Amino acid sequence: MKRLLAVGLLALAHAFSGGAGAQDTIKIGVITDKVGPAKPYAEPVTEGAVFGANEINRKGGVLGRKIELLIEDDQGRPDISATMARKLVEAGAVFILSMSLTPATQQQQNVTLETKTPQLTPSNSGDTLTTQINNPYFWQTGPLGSTQIATLLSHARAKNLKRVALISDNSDLGQLLARFFRGGLEKSGIEVAVEEVIPRGATTAEPQMQKVRAANPDAMFMAGVLTPENVLILRAHRQLGLKFPIHSSYNLSVPQYMQVAKGLLNGLTFVDAYDPDKPEVKQFEAEYQKATGKTPYNLHGYGYDGILLVADAIRRAGGPDKEKIRAAMQASSFAGIMGAKGMKYSFPEGKRTGFDPTGMVVRVYEGDSQGRVVHVGAK
Amino acid sequence: MRDFLELAVSATASGCVYALIALAYLLMIRPTGIINFAVGEWAMVGAFAGYLTLSKLNWPYPAGMAAMLGFMLLLGWATERVAVRPLVHTGAPPLAPILALLGMLVVVRESVSIGFGPDPHQVPEPFGFAWQKEYMVGVTLAVFAGAWLFFERTLAGRSFEAVALDRKAAALMGINLPRVTAASFAGGAAVAGLAGILVSPNVSAHYLMGVPLAIQGFTALVIGGVGRVEGALLGGLLLAFAEQLTVRYAPIPAGYAQGVPLLLLMLFLVVRPTGLLRARA
Repeated sequence: MKRLLAVGLLALAHAFSGGAGAQDTIKIGVITDKVGPAKPYAEPVTEGAVFGANEINRKGGVLGRKIELLIEDDQGRPDISATMARKLVEAGAVFILSMSLTPATQQQQNVTLETKTPQLTPSNSGDTLTTQINNPYFWQTGPLGSTQIATLLSHARAKNLKRVALISDNSDLGQLLARFFRGGLEKSGIEVAVEEVIPRGATTAEPQMQKVRAANPDAMFMAGVLTPENVLILRAHRQLGLKFPIHSSYNLSVPQYMQVAKGLLNGLTFVDAYDPDKPEVKQFEAEYQKATGKTPYNLHGYGYDGILLVADAIRRAGGPDKEKIRAAMQASSFAGIMGAKGMKYSFPEGKRTGFDPTGMVVRVYEGDSQGRVVHVGAK
Repeated sequence: MRDFLELAVSATASGCVYALIALAYLLMIRPTGIINFAVGEWAMVGAFAGYLTLSKLNWPYPAGMAAMLGFMLLLGWATERVAVRPLVHTGAPPLAPILALLGMLVVVRESVSIGFGPDPHQVPEPFGFAWQKEYMVGVTLAVFAGAWLFFERTLAGRSFEAVALDRKAAALMGINLPRVTAASFAGGAAVAGLAGILVSPNVSAHYLMGVPLAIQGFTALVIGGVGRVEGALLGGLLLAFAEQLTVRYAPIPAGYAQGVPLLLLMLFLVVRPTGLLRARA
């Protein structure tokens, strides 16, 4: 009778635990921003990762085990972010994907370094993420701000620009990008004749754009990342009848602009890591559309590439051993959907930034649509 | 000179938005003494109502505007019934409804964020891109003229003023306090929603637009004074002109001009806490 009871209890415990399948999942933590300032970017990146994980699981998982995403919300707050990282490590995550703000990702590194947990940000663009802390467990595959400016400058060089204006918003990332833009422009011998900032929550950008007009630049570079404030800049450009061309950071690659800045976009060039003519991109878009009913864009691609890269590293590591995953990750050579045709993520010579510096493209708005690639790489 | 004239039009339009938010605060503060920081979120709801009716459903502009105003009146009335009246009836301290309304601010913002997503949405202008500023100014002036006439020339408006002067005495005179309070919240919500739908063609409808508007409107209110309707308009215009003239002409680095509204707020709170226009005796 006792034996029968023991067998029954074991069966019950097995049933409640979800069976062997659930116990054998490979847990990957995701730290995203569901309510804070990074939400517009973090949400599609996370959706791309979820789609990628589902696709991997549909094809049999990694080494016969399903991937289980443990998703935590840090509200874009660095002070909460490290706590979320520790929570994920304690929950058994063997890898953490960071999709919140750059400062939040930076803060998480304190935990991943201490607990020797591999961590990847597939979308953050801050140049200092791999340089401020010597964390061999951290990698970054989002294109760096410096790569963006190098690509834009490479495109602009042909235009023979001498004096330009630089405009951004007062968000942390906007200011960071503006700093990279300014440094890159000055290094290239292009004078930044005027630099302006649009504060978050402004109702017009006309005073700032009047100052830009007074400086009479050859072109204007936009480093802001806040969509409403960028739309204000474009409205003021039109309202004041300005004719100089606008070159923008990757932020203008977000498709939402085609809706909120109708009639203001024609001719604007922007950096992107997404080439819609790439066969891999076409396939990704078709499969994503089929699975979710929604059309993906570049931000979804970052998350998708991120989870596929992590799965590839775990596969090559032969299992969820964090030290082996670290070594496999460092040795990655992975072609995803992002980047110019033929680009691969890799971390040569101990580097931990994986986006090929020559892998970005410059595209142009044709009317209100994101148009063709007009430039590739940073040479 | 061209720059100054362009800026005058731009600052007047921005000032009208700040003034409407300040008026929304004032409509509630005068009879109840409650500072409702959720007015910014109400403006955001007004902007999203504009997006829903004008962009998604393609309604004619007057129909979209009427639907937005109707919905906002209802939202303001419901807010008073749910978040304010129960606390007032139970004799809760004056801070309690303010905190309850702050909680409602978060609920409204997150509900919109979940319902419409994090991306900004486009709201169309009624008369096209070129005439939006003139339209904003015209509507704002009409609202302020209406509010002034209501408070100065109608019996109902006088009853609001009576409640503002002395709630107990007004109640003893037979004025229905709960009705005045509910009407003030309904009116405040409608005016805030109007500010939202007016500014949204410029800044888009997005879930984070409320807090900056609430701060700008509150600053305008402090500058103009809570005692008179004209004060809200004056405060809004002064704030917008100070902001934009500083950005354009002050010899300070880009970004520092953002501190101007906060400096003005502190200055008025210290030097003239009653604002520029004092309430009539």
